[in-house]
Parts: sequence; structure tokens; C-alpha cells
Amino acid sequence: MEYLIHLAILVGIYAILGVSLNLVVGFTGLLSVTQAAFYGLGAYTTALLLVNFGVNFFLAAIIGMILTAMISFLIGLVLSRFRGDYYALGSFSFNIIIYSVFLNWQAVTRGPLGIPGVARPSLFGLTFSSNFSFLLLTLSLLLLTFLFTRWLTVSSFGRVLKAIREDETALQVFGYRPIHYKLVIFVIGAALAALAGALFASYITFIDPSSFVLFESIFILAIIILGGLANLKGSVLGALFLILLPEALRFVGFPSDVAAQMRQVVYGLILVFLMLYRPQGLMGEYKL
Amino acid sequence: MTILPQLIVNSIIAGAIYTLVAIGFNLIYGTVKFFDLGYGALTAVGGYAAFLFHKKLGLDLALSIILAVFLTGAIGWLVNQLVYKKLRARRASNMVFLVASLGVFTLLQALLAIFFSSQFQTLSTNAAGGRVFEIFGPTTWLGAGAVITQVQLIILLSGLAIMGALALLLKRTLFGKAIKAVADDEEVAKVVGIDTAKIIGGVFFIGAMIAGLAGILVGFDTGIEPTMGLSLLLKGVIASIIGGIGNVYGGVLGAFLLGFVENFGIWQISGEWKDAIAFGLLIIFLLFRPQGIIRK
Repeated sequence: MEYLIHLAILVGIYAILGVSLNLVVGFTGLLSVTQAAFYGLGAYTTALLLVNFGVNFFLAAIIGMILTAMISFLIGLVLSRFRGDYYALGSFSFNIIIYSVFLNWQAVTRGPLGIPGVARPSLFGLTFSSNFSFLLLTLSLLLLTFLFTRWLTVSSFGRVLKAIREDETALQVFGYRPIHYKLVIFVIGAALAALAGALFASYITFIDPSSFVLFESIFILAIIILGGLANLKGSVLGALFLILLPEALRFVGFPSDVAAQMRQVVYGLILVFLMLYRPQGLMGEYKL
Repeated sequence: MTILPQLIVNSIIAGAIYTLVAIGFNLIYGTVKFFDLGYGALTAVGGYAAFLFHKKLGLDLALSIILAVFLTGAIGWLVNQLVYKKLRARRASNMVFLVASLGVFTLLQALLAIFFSSQFQTLSTNAAGGRVFEIFGPTTWLGAGAVITQVQLIILLSGLAIMGALALLLKRTLFGKAIKAVADDEEVAKVVGIDTAKIIGGVFFIGAMIAGLAGILVGFDTGIEPTMGLSLLLKGVIASIIGGIGNVYGGVLGAFLLGFVENFGIWQISGEWKDAIAFGLLIIFLLFRPQGIIRK
């Protein structure tokens, strides 16, 4: 049971990440591969505030989201000059640069040693110390994120995003400034990823740079592509599927280091087969 | 100033390694116009194939390298046949190619880790990497002097040799002209009777062979691990873009520029920031000179 709760919490965290990235990739059509960097920024900010200053978790998470929003604004400003695969490559670069900051700015992040002893959240004297209560917290935040993003995507703002994806030039003719919209959605996506990062740091109670490598961004991308681009439910489903699948592999009885690699084999195969036979994913409304 | 000569030599060696990776990557990009990330994993495939033939099966060194290079070429060709060819037939967008190649990359890398374990291995039999040559002896005005290992010298020479061979192939042979035709316009090339599928298959074979060779040489210089492909690939991509994507010479120029910037950068800052420096350089180029040093 504990194990199932653990998996459910992970699914929740990755579903938030998926939904946040889907805003950028699925709805706006920008192939960003840097979500793990924002996830990490949120996790590190929260962890550092909790460990060093004893700030309340929720306050720390909000500060983390604001800080991530500011950094992602600068990154988005640079990225907005690129299109297509250059955009993807540029975002790749930022993931690697931010990862090297986590790894090498040892005075603050303690580098590869990581930050242990991150406290569990508490609110009005109520502490989310048991995994079950943490699950409830994760799911409610997921629900909030989901409702917020759905509201965002069905609003007129969301329609402009889809229009950017379909034909940016046509939109400019109508007097819109796509760059503003792209920046705003990139920043919102990053801030939501930071929220997932805050949850992750507090749940695992320990973070180190290895959780925020480029591969993690690819994994989040796989979640939304599998679930379906521009479909929020798809992202939740994708997270569920890709988190549970490796657990199923574990029961097949591979030794643990092979099992870890088998996961990657499966992720790789999923990406290749989806691109070959169903580029819009399971429930997608938009093809890459 | 005492380490300056060694720094220059190190920059040139790094440049030579990146040249090898960038040449093949650029050849493929120039022909099919998408970022083939799977190319990165092929460097590791090459390294491990040589490891398999030479160390596990005990074959002769030269034979192992030749076999490994051909095997890598064949795998590169096979990936094109199984994946990219079908995507091309469907006229998939560049994004689809990019994501599919990301899948190929992840898959190949994980398979290597399963078959050979993810531990770091060395290809060379003696740890020092063969003989060491002194280029400049310690002199009064240059300081400590500089050394280069035999393997590094081979890397440098093969980088130049492959660049020369590829330039000849592209300029002088019918196959090379066909590649250029396909690169210019695949449809028109088809119309004038070029078997474009075959040419593209050939490009993937040659590109993968170069990747394999790069992986083998790096394996002799430092060592191999399944994840080696990513950093090599990214450096190759950076070199290609800052040099001028799709341009074989541009890739070489970019590779050496990257080698110098990286090595001189870590001289001033510190070694761990190497990747950040490389990607910082990429972003600067993307912003201010996206077409690279040599425009195509």
C-alpha cells in the first residue's frame, strides 16, 4: 500500500510537469526540452529555503515559482528568437547550463552531495508527514494546476496560443504580437514545473543535480507526446502510464541495473513507434 | 604563461575530436536537413564494437577497428531504413524526426548499457595511451612545453584525413554529386533519375562510420561508457552550428573554435564549467550569427 501511494505521488508530480510542458509544446507548438531545469529550480529554491531559513513550505514553493518565472522569462526571451529545431536545441542548451549550475555552484547547492533533510510541508499546524496526506496534497495541487491550465487553454488567450502553433505569420497580420504570448506561456509553464519541483524536494526530502538532467526533460516530453499534445488529460494519462510501466518491468524480474536500462529502452521505443505510427499520441489534438 | 603551449595543444586535440563528430553530423544534416540525435549514440556503438572485437573476442587491433567502423555504419544505415525512411515517405515534420532520433538515441544507449554494463572501460591496452611525444621541450620563454600522446596525434591526423577524403568524395565522384543534388532538392534529384533512397542510405552509412571512428578514437584516448555519446553529439552539434550547419568545412572551423574557447575558458574559470561554456558559446552564436561562421 505504501508503495502504491509512493507511485501515486510520483504520478501526480509528473502529471503536473506534463501539463505544464504541454502548455508550451502542445498548445503553442514550441518544442521545449528544458522543463527539468525549471523543475530543478523550483526544487532547489524550495529545499534551500526550507533547510537554511525554515520558511514555510507553501511560501517557499511560491518564492520558487516566482524565481523560476523570472529566470524562465530571460530564457524565454532568448528562445523566442528561434523556431523549429533550433528552438529545441536552444532549450537543450539551457537545460545543460542550469544543470551545470546545480552541479558546480557548490557554495549554494552543495554540488553532487545534494541537499538532505528537506522538511515535509505543514499548514496551520497540520503537517503532511505521512505519505498518504502528502498524496492528498499532491493530488489537490494537481487538480488546481489542471483546472487552471484548462481555464487558460479554453480562454481567448488559449485560442491565440493555438493560432501561434498553426500559423504565426497569419496571426501577426491580425495585429497580435506572438512573442508576448509565447513568453507568457513559457513563463507559466516554467512556474508550474517549479511547483512540481517543490513537491518533489519536500516528498523525497533530499535533492541532488542528477534528478534534473537533460534526460529528465526528455522523459517529460515523452509523457506528453505519449498522452497526446494539446490534451491535458492525455498528459495525466501519459504520466500514469510511463511511471507505472517500469514498475511492471520490475515484476518481470530483471536485475535492478538492467531494469533501469530497460526503462530507457522502453521510453526510446515508445518515442520511435509513436513518431512512426501515431505522432499525435494517444489522445492528441495536434501533430508535431 | 607556463601552461600556454599545452593549452594550445589541448585545444587542438579537442578541436580534432569535435571535428570528427561534426563532419559526419554535418554530412547527414546537409543531406536530409534534420538534427539526427541518434548519431550521438552511434559514437558509443563504435567504441563498444571495437571493445567487443578487440578485447572480448581478441581480434587484431586494426581488424577490430575496421570491423567496428563497418558495423557502426551498418547500424546507422539500418536505423535510417527502419525509421527515418518511413518518416520521410510520410513527409513528417522536422520535429517528428527530432523526437524519433531522440528515441533512437535513448534506445541505443540503453542497449549498450545492458549488454556491456554502464561501467567505464578503456580500449587501449596500456593506460597511458601509447607513446607520448614532446612537441616543445621546456624552454625559457615558453615555459613547461607541451606533450601529445600517440592516440591524440592519430585523432588529429584522422580528423584531417577524413575531412580531405570527404571533400574529395563530394567534389570528385558521381556519388558525391548525387549527394549534393539530394541535399539541394530531393524531389528534383528524383526527377532527374537519382535513386535518392539509395543515396540517403549511403549518407547514413558513411556518417555512421565517421561517428563510429570518432567513438573508437575517443575510446583509445580517454575511454568508453554508454553515455559518452551525448556529450560528443552535443559538442559536434555546437561545432556544426557555430561553423555553419550543413557545411563540411564550417564544421571543422567550428570544432576548433569550440576546442579553443572551451580550453581557454576552463583555464580562466574551472574545469566543471566546460559544458556551460560550450553551450553559452552556442547561444551567443544562435543569437548573433545563426548562420554560423561560413554561411551555406
